[in-house]
Amino acid sequence: MSERRKHLEFLRKTAREAVWAGDYERALTLSDDGLSLARAWKDGDWEDLFTCNRATVLIEMDRKDFDLAQIKEILLRSCSSRNGVRAAYIAATAHESRGEYGRARFYAQAALQKSRELGLDEHTGTSLNLLANLELHESRFESARDLFQEALERYEAQGESLSRQAAVASDNLGYCHIALDRLDLGVPLVLRSLTVLESLAVRQAMDYPSLDLCFAHLKTNRLEEAQDWGTRALALGDEFGRQDVVKNSHYLLAEAYSEMGRESDAEEHYEALASGYPNFPALKHYLRQISLIGMINLRA
Amino acid sequence: MSSTSHSPRRVQLVGSRIRELRKGHRLTQTELSEKIGVAQSDLSRMEQGEYKVGLDTLFKILQVFDLKMGEFFGETATVPTPRLEETRELVTEFEALSEEARREARDFVRFKKLQEEKASSPAPPEEDEEEKP
Repeated sequence: MSERRKHLEFLRKTAREAVWAGDYERALTLSDDGLSLARAWKDGDWEDLFTCNRATVLIEMDRKDFDLAQIKEILLRSCSSRNGVRAAYIAATAHESRGEYGRARFYAQAALQKSRELGLDEHTGTSLNLLANLELHESRFESARDLFQEALERYEAQGESLSRQAAVASDNLGYCHIALDRLDLGVPLVLRSLTVLESLAVRQAMDYPSLDLCFAHLKTNRLEEAQDWGTRALALGDEFGRQDVVKNSHYLLAEAYSEMGRESDAEEHYEALASGYPNFPALKHYLRQISLIGMINLRA
Repeated sequence: MSSTSHSPRRVQLVGSRIRELRKGHRLTQTELSEKIGVAQSDLSRMEQGEYKVGLDTLFKILQVFDLKMGEFFGETATVPTPRLEETRELVTEFEALSEEARREARDFVRFKKLQEEKASSPAPPEEDEEEKP
């Protein structure tokens, strides 16, 4: 590997570690640096790679200020390469973030097919995860469960059962089981995910497992545990600016407190939740009277 | 400060109730699905209890129907409606009064009841107002 490529590889790895550590600003700066250098050195492959990685970071930051058409160009130009798989995957996640689930599924299937053809195990696993997430969003819990199961088995076969991706797949698989009322199967998987994430110090990925455990304990009326996990999820959601986690945490905590008869604590969370919907002043009133637990999908 | 009394179980929002409300509001699946931002096929699955959604969509459903509580709970309601909550508060306040104040409050309620009964009973028809054949 040339010195230039070694330098670009260093930037890529450091940016990826920054993403895993939740330091998105740093990841974005590193990706920008890599992109500028690859352009200056006229290294097309690495320019494509950093274009993809930069978009990934922006998606993680809930930002949409990147050129999706440019990502699709990379897919067309390099459809049988690692960058093509990356581009298909990013196009899928971009469409997913825009709520365009049909298109997202199309690109996720393309990413999965290409990664299988090229024998890119890591990408196959992430594509399986993405497709499974799309199924989960559409409440196809059985189908999502099977895809997550396959993704997890792949990680284990590769000796990566203690990786961040395997931990996320384990949590998602656990959530599918919980949603299908198989808490006996789901809760251990989520707990395992948390143990791995904790050992990797990936705190920003511990929000959904905490939320899932809150939900599971709420379903079985273990309200103290639900309160404990909901409080953790809320703290993580606040810390990492995840609005979806914050909203769901407020709702689940309010439900738990309400079931415990701690009305003023429940009220605090209903109030926090309703403050996000100023055009619906009656919301808090409805929430006090109507339980949405049977209709809720934490991944939708 | 936390209360120690358990709240009565609240009504669960379920797919079949959404279907009833939609029909009660004379909305087609297509119309409701457009209002809440889901595909019609997903709304159909939602009404059958197969499709679950996020909080935003659930809140949109409540907002579209803009329910009166009684309408949502129907005839089988066992949960506190706002009226019942008000009654419960009144009872608590009444119990906190002195014996004399309670007597005065009872007298006042009797007086208001008589006043309302008098206002709602129809006045006897006067002869010159009757229609002549």
